[in-house]
Amino acid sequence: MASLKMRPRDAQTLPVTLEVNGKTYELDIEPHELLIDVVRERLGLTGVKRSCDVQVCGACTLLLDGRPVSSCTLPAFEARGKRVETIEGLATKGQLHPLQESFIEHGGFQCGFCTPGMILTAKALLEENPAPSEAEIKEFMHGNICRCTGYKKIIESIRAAAEKMRPARGRP
Amino acid sequence: MRFEREIDIHSPKEKVWRFLWDIDRFIACVPGCKEAGTLEAGKSYTATMVEKVGPFRVEFPMRIDVLESREHSYIKAQASGSDSKIGSRMKVELEVNLTGEGDQTKLLLGASVDILGKLATLGHSMIKRKADQVMDEFAGNLKQKLEADA
Amino acid sequence: MLRRFRLEEPETVPEASELLARYGDSARVYAGGTELLLVMKEGLAHYERLVNIKKIPNLDTVKQDNGVISIGALATHRSLSTDALLEERLPVFAAMEKHVANIRVREVGTIGGNLCFAEPHADPGTLLLVLGAKLILAKASGRREIPIEGFFVGPYETVLEDDELLTEIRVPLLPAHSAAAYLKFGYLERPSVGVAVSLSLDGASVRDVRVAVGCAGPTPRRIEAAEEALRGKSVEDASESIGKAGAIAGRESDAITDLHGSKDYKEHIVGVLLKRAFTQVVEQCR
Repeated sequence: MASLKMRPRDAQTLPVTLEVNGKTYELDIEPHELLIDVVRERLGLTGVKRSCDVQVCGACTLLLDGRPVSSCTLPAFEARGKRVETIEGLATKGQLHPLQESFIEHGGFQCGFCTPGMILTAKALLEENPAPSEAEIKEFMHGNICRCTGYKKIIESIRAAAEKMRPARGRP
Repeated sequence: MRFEREIDIHSPKEKVWRFLWDIDRFIACVPGCKEAGTLEAGKSYTATMVEKVGPFRVEFPMRIDVLESREHSYIKAQASGSDSKIGSRMKVELEVNLTGEGDQTKLLLGASVDILGKLATLGHSMIKRKADQVMDEFAGNLKQKLEADA
Repeated sequence: MLRRFRLEEPETVPEASELLARYGDSARVYAGGTELLLVMKEGLAHYERLVNIKKIPNLDTVKQDNGVISIGALATHRSLSTDALLEERLPVFAAMEKHVANIRVREVGTIGGNLCFAEPHADPGTLLLVLGAKLILAKASGRREIPIEGFFVGPYETVLEDDELLTEIRVPLLPAHSAAAYLKFGYLERPSVGVAVSLSLDGASVRDVRVAVGCAGPTPRRIEAAEEALRGKSVEDASESIGKAGAIAGRESDAITDLHGSKDYKEHIVGVLLKRAFTQVVEQCR
């Protein structure tokens, strides 16, 4: 990463507070630093992948206040004061998230490169629509591209996760 | 992308011909073109093309090679250059045909423009529009300069 | 890779306008960044300063003001696609927004940025043309209202002055017995062709109709000659003439051959989409 040493003396830095996977970080960042680089290089969370670099493929998806964003094209300062979720934050106390379990059970990935983005996007979908139809899944997920397994297994995984998560939802 | 223009000039063919080979005056008619230089008279020339489209600015140092010429009637030339800053290349194939009698010359200008590299990712519509503008202005300038000299 | 730039964060329109006036070509407005940052990362454009206008309050609201829906330029595609007022009063606009790019771009990209960047393969401008939208352009010394027809100059170029900001999009509500539709088709990430139609019926005849085509050519454009082929006719006659209107719209769309399809192909698709959109609006009007 562009280390502090390489910064020109007159470089502008912004003190920002980021909440990543429930942990608070105080960082000095430059305006041009992209969220993906801060998360991967400074915080060491390498689940997020850089791939197409033009907001098309979805491999760099992170959740910002619960909503999917392309971290490859989002300056890190945009996450100021917001909640960032990465794939690393999904499992709690060694227990995988239902989406993660379902992707394993239903063969929702092969090489795994697109999977963090797939799962985070699916999480945002299920948060706004706990029981999506197949058409709704396809529509919401159409910006996440998988080049190995095809989408059938991914859709099955998301539907299965929705099933699993439903009883726990909306009931105090 | 292919561009064509037909320019009617009130000036004899011989004079138009001489003008075309006067690199400084010729280049001055091409909008955005500057710094004309001669590598080998009648064969190779240099010039720099600077254009701005919306937020994008490109600068192509070009080498122009004359491939074929027939006195007072035909020139075929090729120009190419790269903008290293934005990683793009431009190649232009240019053909000029002169016909006419006495004081009237018809100049047929044909250009095939190829843009390669990152600039091309912005799409052909932008490049085509710009190239159309350049051709129109060039045609206008050429006619005006030649007729003013009469 | 994004090169270094400085960030300015004005909190009012006049402040933003003054910054833009002061720094001229070396500064650019930054809102969602979904278009701008792509060309900056590519190295196709560089600015020493980006003027983030998202700290300016109240520029992202949607409200109704008499017969006009006012859309703040900073509203994201996502917020517009789910906006209750739009869904009720201007559902065609919410529906178009639902299909802009993908979910991540819709979350971050703004309607104002989309229009001002003037990328030719965009959806909103085409629909706004048939809806008769007006744009409010503001700077430190005042503001002006222009019809959207006069906004686009060419690909990536608009009539915005250096120190001017688009602040608001004003869309008149459709009159009674009227409907509008926007359809698009493409096989790459961005559409090859987008067609918008609005129709007002007077009993069984076409009182008014507007046709616009986007993506195919350098800017979205109204195709008045295609409208002429339909206006004043009975719905039946207009439906019979729709092939002819489609051929006119294709020809006048200024389509060019590129990665998104050949000129002939795009012209053909314009006709297909116009026919489908017209059938749809006729149904909705009744």
